[in-house]
Amino acid sequence: MKNLAVTLKKVKWKHFINYIAIALVIAIFTPLSLGGSLPLTSRLLLEKIAMNILLALSLSLVVGFLGELSLGHAGFMCIGAYLGGKVALLLETNFNGDNSIVPFILALIVGAAVAGLFGFIIGLPALRLKGDYLAIVTLAFGEIVKTVFENSSEGTFGGPKGLKTPRFDNIYLFIIGFFLVLLCIFIIQNLIRSKHGRAITAIRDNEIAARAMGINVTKYKLVGFIVSAAFAGAAGVFYSFANNYVRASVFDYNYSIEILIMVVIGGMGNLTGTICSAVAVTFVNTKLQTMLTGDLAVLKDIVYALILVVIIIYNNAPALKGFREKYNFRNLLNKLFKPKSSTDKDDEGAWHRVPTKIAMDEVLSIDLKVVESTMNPDKEDKS
Amino acid sequence: MDFVLTLVNGLSLGGIYAMIALGYTMVYGIAKMLNFAHGDIIMVGGYTVLIFLSINPILAIVASMIFCLLLGIVVEKVAYKPLRGASPLAVLITAIGVSYLLQSLALIIFGAQPEYVIIADLGVLNIGEISIGYNTIITLVSTVIIMIALTLFVKYTKIGRAMVAVSEDKDAARLMGININMIITITFAIGSSLAALAGVFSLLKVPTITPTYGSMPGIKAFTAAVIGGIGSIPGAMVGGIFLGIVECICNSIPELAPYTIAIEFLILIVILLVKPSGILGKKRREKV
Amino acid sequence: MKFKKILTLVLSTVLMTTTLASCKKDNLNVPKFSDETINIGVSGPLSGGAAVYGQSVQNSAKLAIHEINEKGGLDGTLFAFNMYDDKHDPTLVSDGYASLLENGMQISLGTVTTGPALEFKELAKNDNLFVLTPSATGDAVPEYDNAFQMCFADSNQGTASAEYFNSNYQGKKVGVFYKSDEDYSTGILAKFEETLSESFGEVVKASFKGEESDFAAQVEILKDCEIIFMPIYYTPASQFMLAGKNKIKSNAIYYGCDGLDGVDAISGFDINTIPQEVSYLSHFNSSTTVGAAKDYIDAYKKTFGEDAPLSQFGAAAYDCVYAIYEALKVAKANGANVSAATTASDFCEILKTVFVSDSFVFHGITGAPEANGKSNISWSADGFVNKNAVKYIVKEASN
Repeated sequence: MKNLAVTLKKVKWKHFINYIAIALVIAIFTPLSLGGSLPLTSRLLLEKIAMNILLALSLSLVVGFLGELSLGHAGFMCIGAYLGGKVALLLETNFNGDNSIVPFILALIVGAAVAGLFGFIIGLPALRLKGDYLAIVTLAFGEIVKTVFENSSEGTFGGPKGLKTPRFDNIYLFIIGFFLVLLCIFIIQNLIRSKHGRAITAIRDNEIAARAMGINVTKYKLVGFIVSAAFAGAAGVFYSFANNYVRASVFDYNYSIEILIMVVIGGMGNLTGTICSAVAVTFVNTKLQTMLTGDLAVLKDIVYALILVVIIIYNNAPALKGFREKYNFRNLLNKLFKPKSSTDKDDEGAWHRVPTKIAMDEVLSIDLKVVESTMNPDKEDKS
Repeated sequence: MDFVLTLVNGLSLGGIYAMIALGYTMVYGIAKMLNFAHGDIIMVGGYTVLIFLSINPILAIVASMIFCLLLGIVVEKVAYKPLRGASPLAVLITAIGVSYLLQSLALIIFGAQPEYVIIADLGVLNIGEISIGYNTIITLVSTVIIMIALTLFVKYTKIGRAMVAVSEDKDAARLMGININMIITITFAIGSSLAALAGVFSLLKVPTITPTYGSMPGIKAFTAAVIGGIGSIPGAMVGGIFLGIVECICNSIPELAPYTIAIEFLILIVILLVKPSGILGKKRREKV
Repeated sequence: MKFKKILTLVLSTVLMTTTLASCKKDNLNVPKFSDETINIGVSGPLSGGAAVYGQSVQNSAKLAIHEINEKGGLDGTLFAFNMYDDKHDPTLVSDGYASLLENGMQISLGTVTTGPALEFKELAKNDNLFVLTPSATGDAVPEYDNAFQMCFADSNQGTASAEYFNSNYQGKKVGVFYKSDEDYSTGILAKFEETLSESFGEVVKASFKGEESDFAAQVEILKDCEIIFMPIYYTPASQFMLAGKNKIKSNAIYYGCDGLDGVDAISGFDINTIPQEVSYLSHFNSSTTVGAAKDYIDAYKKTFGEDAPLSQFGAAAYDCVYAIYEALKVAKANGANVSAATTASDFCEILKTVFVSDSFVFHGITGAPEANGKSNISWSADGFVNKNAVKYIVKEASN
């Protein structure tokens, strides 16, 4: 009994906060939804939130951790949506099972795998190109994918009309979505907190130095792109299940930018922040759309743009640094829950506020206490 | 003969892309930011022309350049300057925010219906079987003049050299006594008035304007600037013309036409893979 | 720094107030959704590239509802209207739909454009909601028995155009200018090519996509054609005609579908500078000077101003509201229970029965007008509209 208490104390809750939050969402909303008391608007909102968390997390692997700017994330999603939808369509006619999970899983695997393959292909130029040059290549990739699907024939992917895909019952769909999010967090978090993750961040911080240290830059960059693309593909498959039609015109560069906005607001290389901002951006967008109707609809882009500019300036302006440190969410929480521990708080906060660094002390501590952390100890031993 | 015609059409379109790309590359080269709002400045310029057109076409052009110049300065001061020194991605997102803002303001003020802005009907020059619009000639000549003027400005004036210094190394430039904020503001002012001018030239070619009119030229100019090598002034010209010609060749072949954008971007990728910093871009040696 | 923050704040406040002020243009009596009204909802683009079509629908639907309410509504029960913005983006439809429904939508005008309509019809089918779309022309839109169209379906327009070509333009060289990434355009074209008689020989095709506006290359392809079919909307059509005005043969004919309506009303564009003949086959002409359509146009311009977007989209929406109103009156006369408390599903059953019945003929402003200035409109059981299309000649060839 005492042992358990000690173990509980030793657990780094920070590592589990994402899992706990998502698990709570599932635990709260599943009975509500199955009981029929969750309105359709909420179910649709939850679906969108799950999908956008997936997209934002996967993009944050490339942008936040690998440090490469990608403007073509919607392209991977497009591939996933079309292929996943097509697979489900073919299976549905064969299995004829209503809301069976089998077509979903198969579609998911195919969609993610093919998107991952394209992630590999896009990862190759990433080895040669830097910064904004890579950004335009990814943007180009997204538009090429869109154009190809748009011009497909009626029988294959439906052409400009789009591909009609089976829609999953929205009573269950968001639950599946959040389980996918759990899987995504598990994989990305473990990747980032392993030695591979440290290699990836080392490449971001200084590629030449990382290469000099013997890090296989090619391998890690490609791994980053593949994992990121595969999850975007999975989000695409999810999209095809949440909608009745998959239309290529949806997946334009504006969509990629929308995902990028979530990652940047969330703080680069900060998984919890990315999840929070994906939720917030989706929520704000949906609320603006459903609240500003009729004559007021023209205002919603203005409101959104103003919110965006103000948040970005507040979060990033060097001149507001002092202000930010004084009044921020973390301090507020600390004040509410631990009124006394103000000494170590400042130090810890400082690390988190540097947007391009992941919590370094956390990374270092993993070396010392391998067994307690959430990662796979076997892999560590190999090093 | 058909091919020559296509080339002429390509030059005409490419001239406009080049003009937009000049402003784009200028801002990128010095402020080091992808200005996603650049295309929307073109749109604002177009609507300004519309307002003043009934008075006098020349006045309208001048007014549009002045208004965009001021708009460029205001946007820079309010939205980009507070982020000086912050992550480039943050600036990119603010630029997108500004772009949304300008588009929806235009939607509210001018409405969603398209407006025709016919500045002047310049007619065509017939050489044998080929006819070239005078607007094409004016666009190309002006683009070349502006390109040369910008190059000379950057090379030989004090402000121009300060711009180069800022683009090379901000901190060193500051230590040399250069007022970085002022230089960047001037860059935005020039870039935005060039955008207004590009708007005028594209209205000479296709005289319609809508609130979302700027987004496609913005992306095309970005592509042109990258093909030529971002930050390189002659590169923007080369990239723009190249892109215009490729687009016209693709559109003139009915089977390829639906894939025009894909082909343009594919060529872009190939060029970047062969020359990672664009056709005329400088290759920088990396240091630890 | 602080000064700039304040400046930003002040600027944005000024901005918001001017915006809010500028939005209050009309003073129509259109109630918000409530339990005491019959609530009609619609989803359509009110911002983004397609906003012009959505705004036209919103204005016209409000105008129709205002007129009906002025006359006392349906025996005292007023109609309410609300429109949600979908930006012509299918992903935004479901939120708007769910929200409308939860706010009490009982009858819907579906969506304005086809892409979102495909998503909308699946959702509406699940809830058994009545849909009468003004302008979503896709063939699949009235797939289920609860959905009806006020506009002609794509395939219908393609067939009708080709038949017109077969009987009137034999021997001419046919060209097509279409938008390759839009199902409206490709849908009409597919049926057109299928129906067009073999004797025309090979059809020359040129296309564009996205927001392209430079059509020099396409003009080169089509310059030898004698009749150019344009299943596109009026903005790119006007740009194409302007680009080709000296290169396309002056005796050539531009021929379009309902999307071309409005081509002569674009601000600043003088259709008479185009030497060729411009005509289209449609159900409405927004510069007509006869019949009930003229009354609608006058009322529209009086309410929303000369510059407000006016096209067949709006006219169809105006007809949709009146058709629903007339159908409800018929149902009430037949003894159906029609009140503000009727559920969406009950409304759907009531309206469906009336719409597919042979005796129901609606007299509207779209379609070929009869002697009384109004057209006869009825619906087949599969949801497609039956009315006479008219070939409008916007302008004759100028010689």
